[in-house]
Amino acid sequence: MTDNHRTTYIPANLLPVVVPPDSYDDFRSKSTPLIIDNGSTNIRFGFSTASSPHSNLNVVAKYKERKYNKPLLLFGDAIDAESGAKGQARTPWEGDVLLNFDALENALDYVFIRLGIDTSSVEHPILMTERLSSSLHSRALTSELMFEQYSVPSVTYCVDSLMSFYQNNKPGSSERFTSDGLVVSFNTASTSVVPVVEGRGIMSHAKRIPWGTQQSTDYLLKLIQLKYPSFPTRVTSTQTNWMLRNLCEFATDYPALLRSMKNPLHLRESEYIVQFPFAIPIVEEKTEEELTRIAEKRKEQGKKLQEIAAKNRMEKLVQKENDLQYLNNLKEGRSDNKREWINTLQSEGFEDEGALDDIIKKLELDLKRARKKEADGDDSVEEPSFSLIEVPDVELDEEGLKEKKKQKLMKAGFEARARARREKEKEREEKEADEKRDEEERERDIGKWSGKLRQEQEAIMNRIKDRNRRKAALSDRKSAAAQARMKSIATLAADDRVPKKKRKTGAEDMFGADDEDWAIYRKINTAAASSDEEDDINQLQTIELKLLAHDPTFTTEHTHASIASQRSALISAFRPRYEEGDIEGNTRIHLNTERWRVCEAYFSPGMAGVDSAGVGEVIQNVLARFSNSDKARLVKNVFVTGSPSKLPGLIPKLHATLRPILPPEMPLEIIRAVDPEIDAWKGMAAFANTEEFERVGVTKAEYEEWGGETIRRWWGGNWNSSM
Amino acid sequence: MAPKGGSKKKPSLADDTAHSPTLPEQLSYLHTPRPFKNPAYTKNLNRRTKNLKTVLAQERDRERLERDRRRHQRHHLPMDVDAETTKIDPDHDIPTYSSIEAPPSLLPQRHYCDITGLEAPYTDPATALRFHDKSVYELIKALSSSAAKDYLSARGVNPIVK
Repeated sequence: MTDNHRTTYIPANLLPVVVPPDSYDDFRSKSTPLIIDNGSTNIRFGFSTASSPHSNLNVVAKYKERKYNKPLLLFGDAIDAESGAKGQARTPWEGDVLLNFDALENALDYVFIRLGIDTSSVEHPILMTERLSSSLHSRALTSELMFEQYSVPSVTYCVDSLMSFYQNNKPGSSERFTSDGLVVSFNTASTSVVPVVEGRGIMSHAKRIPWGTQQSTDYLLKLIQLKYPSFPTRVTSTQTNWMLRNLCEFATDYPALLRSMKNPLHLRESEYIVQFPFAIPIVEEKTEEELTRIAEKRKEQGKKLQEIAAKNRMEKLVQKENDLQYLNNLKEGRSDNKREWINTLQSEGFEDEGALDDIIKKLELDLKRARKKEADGDDSVEEPSFSLIEVPDVELDEEGLKEKKKQKLMKAGFEARARARREKEKEREEKEADEKRDEEERERDIGKWSGKLRQEQEAIMNRIKDRNRRKAALSDRKSAAAQARMKSIATLAADDRVPKKKRKTGAEDMFGADDEDWAIYRKINTAAASSDEEDDINQLQTIELKLLAHDPTFTTEHTHASIASQRSALISAFRPRYEEGDIEGNTRIHLNTERWRVCEAYFSPGMAGVDSAGVGEVIQNVLARFSNSDKARLVKNVFVTGSPSKLPGLIPKLHATLRPILPPEMPLEIIRAVDPEIDAWKGMAAFANTEEFERVGVTKAEYEEWGGETIRRWWGGNWNSSM
Repeated sequence: MAPKGGSKKKPSLADDTAHSPTLPEQLSYLHTPRPFKNPAYTKNLNRRTKNLKTVLAQERDRERLERDRRRHQRHHLPMDVDAETTKIDPDHDIPTYSSIEAPPSLLPQRHYCDITGLEAPYTDPATALRFHDKSVYELIKALSSSAAKDYLSARGVNPIVK
């Protein structure tokens, strides 16, 4: 916990290096045992005389390269070299069961090639690991591979956790292994608890919890995805695994820790920030000159358009003038013969002389208006003549009547427009007067003025809140507001709307006579966005602007907008928000509670949806099957192994979990393997060099007689029905 | 006139001999000799990768048969017990892959907030999410229904939508 607030970066992938195979000369024609620790994550292998094993990821990928169309077979971390191969990666394990034997065969090929074996068969006895109570199917096929394909002289299977235990509790050089202890092994896809009494693993009392690194990584990834649903880059499992290994830890007292994290400050302090790689978008900043150039171009374009429009207008005018000329000529050149005149008119498309006159008049008006516009550009209001309105109807003829009607309408329209203009002016004046009054008040006594405005603001905010609450209440079916609404709908729709008493006196349904009755429809209709809301919001905004401008104590924090969008301190500590444009900030992951939450799932997998007992409870169950004296021997030597046991805080937490369930006088000691990852292999190597090793293997002859499932029962191996 | 397909392949063939092996090619061990392999070995068809579920079911069935057989045997054998039998009852303690699985938890489960991970005394009736305090509740109200379901599935509760 010394690196608080430190931002850590996701490490970049290192390219793998080509390693030449080992030289086989040391081991040729010697039957040194070959030790293979076949783990779900890593495979560790080597000869038993080596001090440490070769180790590689236990994945195989068969991939056809796109560029040169060559098939490739890659193993372990070499898969990183070829990006397309990652999709084809296969591992022989599925959790704790060996299923994919093609992959296993390729893996073993790699092992043997790497060790430089070049004889026609593998001439070394093999010591290999398998999982606790692994299935017979897995073992049968592995044996088959070993004996038939590689012609191995003998094969021995062991349980890796027990070998690690052996390594750390090795007896003297010629004594038998007689230690006692409780082995807690943390593996990739499971966690197992195995009691060891008198140097023999009691397999029947062992237990396995289906929660391991794989499930923890998935859980952490899920939590991150839930917390950051719109994260710009994809977070891969490998990165999550790295985060798990480096940033997560066990909490000795999880509930107490949570209680302390209720405080947002504490939450912030305990977080780790992981910065993911991000790309800064290149913003092309146009220089000053470019900006002016663009503005000029736009202006020119505008001008050009204007010119084109003017030209069009000119053309139309000219066209109209021509038409007018033509029609006038027509009119003048009419012959006295009426019939001919009507014929010519009709050929031009006019019905009679009246129509011709109308069109001529219209054209003249248009021309006049257009010319005036061009001349002074202002549409002056002209009062058209209303001469005929005064004249009584009797004196006019049909045409005159028509004219009179037309004039009446025009007059009415003209007057209405004038009235509207006057009203607008009046409103403007009133508003100005208001503002002036407001300013005077403010200058006179700013305290009172701001107080008044603030009250108004609060009133409006309350109204908005009430409206929201009413809306929320209406959506809930059982609330009083919703039920009242249903009642009013029912009464409106009822066939008999008149109350009984009134009906006796013969009254009818008088809904609608009163204007207020229609207001009920507003209440029923929940979907309509009320215009009141918009008015309120607008008013609120103007008030706030005024206050902001003139009142120094009113800041942006008091505005309605900021109060509404206020996020609690806890949420902002839990998941800090960054601005939209802050690319770097937006590719950050803040881990605070997740760091302990993920590891806590080992002790209660129910948190993550796995219906199983946790480590503490399982240990309790296992111990319960032993007598008290045996129990004492077991808990004096609780042994923790497996790479996940390197997570900090495990031993104190185990201690805190186990201490309460044991009698107080029983000594409880928890030890971790010296090297949790490799100790299993080292234990195997050490064991292989003892003479006991030769007695517990299955030789080729025995394999051919009994088949692949039978193995010898010994202290370090599994025990099942085929013996 | 070379056929159409051939003309495409030609440049790559020419390059093949010319280009130095790339890193993945160097790492690939597809073509390294494996003298230790027995060429006479034919792959067992049984070896095709089986589903985990089928393997476990198979194991279970075999165990059951085996256990029945042993029980049957013991009933019909004379009652004198061998000196070799251990004090542990042979019938129950042969561990199989499924038998050593840990039992479900008997301890009462603590409620943790689905959003923040802190303690959660409250549960939202609409979405069944557990939450820590009212500010978290505001957040929950603003979640979409698919996001709420995601949170639930992290806890292992998978609501089936009708």
